[in-house]
Amino acid sequence: MLRKGIIKGFIFLILLLIVVSTLNSIFIIKTGHRSKLIEGLYKHTGNAYDVVLMGSSHMNGGIDPNVLWHQEGITSFNYATGGQPIDVTYYLIKEVLKNHNKPIVVVDLYYLGLRDEYGDEGYVRNALDNLRLSKNKLDAVINCTPRRDWESYLIPIIKYHDRWKELTVRDFLYDTSESYFAKGFDAGTDKYGKNIISEVSTTGTIDLPPKTEEYLTKIIDLSREIGFKLIFINIPYDYNSTSGSTNWVKEPAKMFNRVAEIAEDNDIPFINYNDKLDEIGFDFKSDMNNSSHLNIWGANKITVKFGEFLKENYDLIDHRSDEKYAQWNIDYRHSQAASISDK
Amino acid sequence: MSFNSIEFLLFFIIVTFVYYALSHKVRWVWLLISSYYFYMCWNPKYAILMAISTIVTYLSGLLIDKANKLSDGKKSLQLKKLWVFLSFTINLSILFMFKYFNFFSSSIERIFNYFNNPIYLPSFDYLLPIGISFYTFQALSYTIDVFRRDIKAEKNLGKYALFVSFFPQLVAGPIEKSKNLLHQFDEKHTFNYERVKNGLLLICWGLIQKMVIADRLAILVNTVYNNPSDYRGFEIALATVFFAFQIYCDFSAYSDIARGAAEVMGFRLSLNFKSPYFSKSIKEFWRRWHITLGAWFMDYLYIPLGGNRRGRLRYYFNILVVFLVSGLWHGATFNFIIWGALHGIYQVIGDLLKPIRGAIIKIFKIDTHHFSYKLYQVLVTFALVNFAWIFFRAGSFTSALIIIQNIFYFNPEVFFDGSIYKLGLASKDLILSILSIGILIGVNMLQLTRNLRSELSRLNIVVRWSVYLTAIAIILIFGMYGPGYDPEQFIYFQF
Repeated sequence: MLRKGIIKGFIFLILLLIVVSTLNSIFIIKTGHRSKLIEGLYKHTGNAYDVVLMGSSHMNGGIDPNVLWHQEGITSFNYATGGQPIDVTYYLIKEVLKNHNKPIVVVDLYYLGLRDEYGDEGYVRNALDNLRLSKNKLDAVINCTPRRDWESYLIPIIKYHDRWKELTVRDFLYDTSESYFAKGFDAGTDKYGKNIISEVSTTGTIDLPPKTEEYLTKIIDLSREIGFKLIFINIPYDYNSTSGSTNWVKEPAKMFNRVAEIAEDNDIPFINYNDKLDEIGFDFKSDMNNSSHLNIWGANKITVKFGEFLKENYDLIDHRSDEKYAQWNIDYRHSQAASISDK
Repeated sequence: MSFNSIEFLLFFIIVTFVYYALSHKVRWVWLLISSYYFYMCWNPKYAILMAISTIVTYLSGLLIDKANKLSDGKKSLQLKKLWVFLSFTINLSILFMFKYFNFFSSSIERIFNYFNNPIYLPSFDYLLPIGISFYTFQALSYTIDVFRRDIKAEKNLGKYALFVSFFPQLVAGPIEKSKNLLHQFDEKHTFNYERVKNGLLLICWGLIQKMVIADRLAILVNTVYNNPSDYRGFEIALATVFFAFQIYCDFSAYSDIARGAAEVMGFRLSLNFKSPYFSKSIKEFWRRWHITLGAWFMDYLYIPLGGNRRGRLRYYFNILVVFLVSGLWHGATFNFIIWGALHGIYQVIGDLLKPIRGAIIKIFKIDTHHFSYKLYQVLVTFALVNFAWIFFRAGSFTSALIIIQNIFYFNPEVFFDGSIYKLGLASKDLILSILSIGILIGVNMLQLTRNLRSELSRLNIVVRWSVYLTAIAIILIFGMYGPGYDPEQFIYFQF
């Protein structure tokens, strides 16, 4: 009786898990972040990328894999999601590395400035809701979210079940391939029209907030442990844009100086594009979408420069003429960058 | 730790697994520890009150048993009555202090103030110990059962303590008589797949009633009843009907989860609700609503008062006493007393009007067996019960009067101009609420004549498992829970 009960109970539990996981997929909000993470993490696996791009919205609209391909023949994917705190980035890197063997990992460090222990829930969900249940996700939830939210990160229907009244056909038949060509990149097409306010050149340093420093160290340690190459960057933004935030470091310029020290100590390249605006001919008025984010033209400019950096410093093969990569050339034609250059 | 929480789910899983893993001899110890832990999750200090109640009634049992052995019959009876008296006095004093003292002292103050003779009595700033009315009544049933020799006194204090504190029914019933439950702790329960499955199914149905129906209806009810002067006519009528189903689903849910949880471990708890809104009279309603409380009052108050055997006047008096006490049992406010009194008065008037009703039926040759007549009876009873619920739900006597005043207002336009969707439930939630009430009525109707669980168990596995998985999916999708939602406490926890 007991044996029969255990077997039947076990089978029932498996069916229940299938039902719950199906419900989770239906009820989770269908954002662009969900679409790109499914594409990048679970659809295109097997060492598909030379370079992976990690970070928050600055990176999301900062470096365009299609431009990297078009200019240098480098394959890459942009895994950045809006508001992604650095602790979440650490676990996302681990998730990426499950399917891609030692790509060059590029991390935008804007979010080192967050002083709160946990990122904003909506932003954290941009990333964690879209990871499949795994030990890595469990670790991410435990370390990146407050205790009270753990259940709803692991079983998202707890958070989203009230969406039953707003579900549409798209929720049931969600197709991520619509974001396939973008390869995770998405930049705005506005022109900010204003000059940068903040003073970017300073010599002083300040300490990083404890938690972000801890995770920066973890990322560095992970690169040593696994043996992948790490590049830190800071994509241009006006440091003044966070001056009103109570949960942000007051002097990001000094924080990035400290980051430069840490990077140097660990022999990791750190490119702070805010310090190179004139050198790369970056025009804040026309290359920014707003005070914090690049627009498509700014992203193009930065990506070209970054591509050159990669080419000069790493042994990356130009795949453009390789038949096996023919699809990448087709993909480029459908990209946001191609549509801009056509005009 | 509410039944509709993840904490309870984990607690219950652990308790059940360990329960079956342990040897039969020590299972009661595990259940006792678990039950006290369950209770102490609310307020650890109040476990002392439950322990006092347990020890007092336990000793009363032993002393009554000892008195039974005396050869002097008169002295034996006197002693037994003394122990019953002491057990009742101590238990009811604790109940009075924690539940009624402030009510009575403020009422006395008000009376004296009314006559321009102000007095000030002390008041106690206690939180009401959760479930105190339930376990006190359950413990007292033991004293009387031993006194009446319905059961033998329990020698094992631990097992007796478990009877008082058994976690599934501890804080909101069913109120078990000792003759029903105590002996079950000596039974050997082996794992039985069918029984465990049936128990889980009952828990599932309880969760649907609570999380999908009651807590959704509560939103509209709270909106209207918390600001009664802002609403009129059909808005109040809808909120009142919704409350009737809210409180039913809420309480019936608790009972079903309690019965289901107990059943998983092999215990049989009493049925507490039997499709009460299908009652054709108030008398019948009380045989179908909170059955175990009704049975307690019947056994230990109504019958000792003489029931209906001492003349019509005394019968009416007894009915009124029982229902006034029942009102007071629910809470220390005048509204609960009025609610109880109304149910008593309904029955007295119903009895007084019996000859007139009989005459009308005869004159107009009404077919009392016809469906329409039965439906009429059900609807009249439901209306009367609903009217009484106004006092039960309204926060104060004044609120209840405002509700009654405002309900008599004809405003059918609220159904067409969108006002009905501004009572806390937007259109889809309101439609779901009405739909779920319809499903509840349907299930209750089927339950009148069928045992749905055993009928379900006869269907093939694909259908059965589809039903189970659908039920869980319904809770997950339509249940009221999760972040941003303030869970509604089970209403009967406060009694």
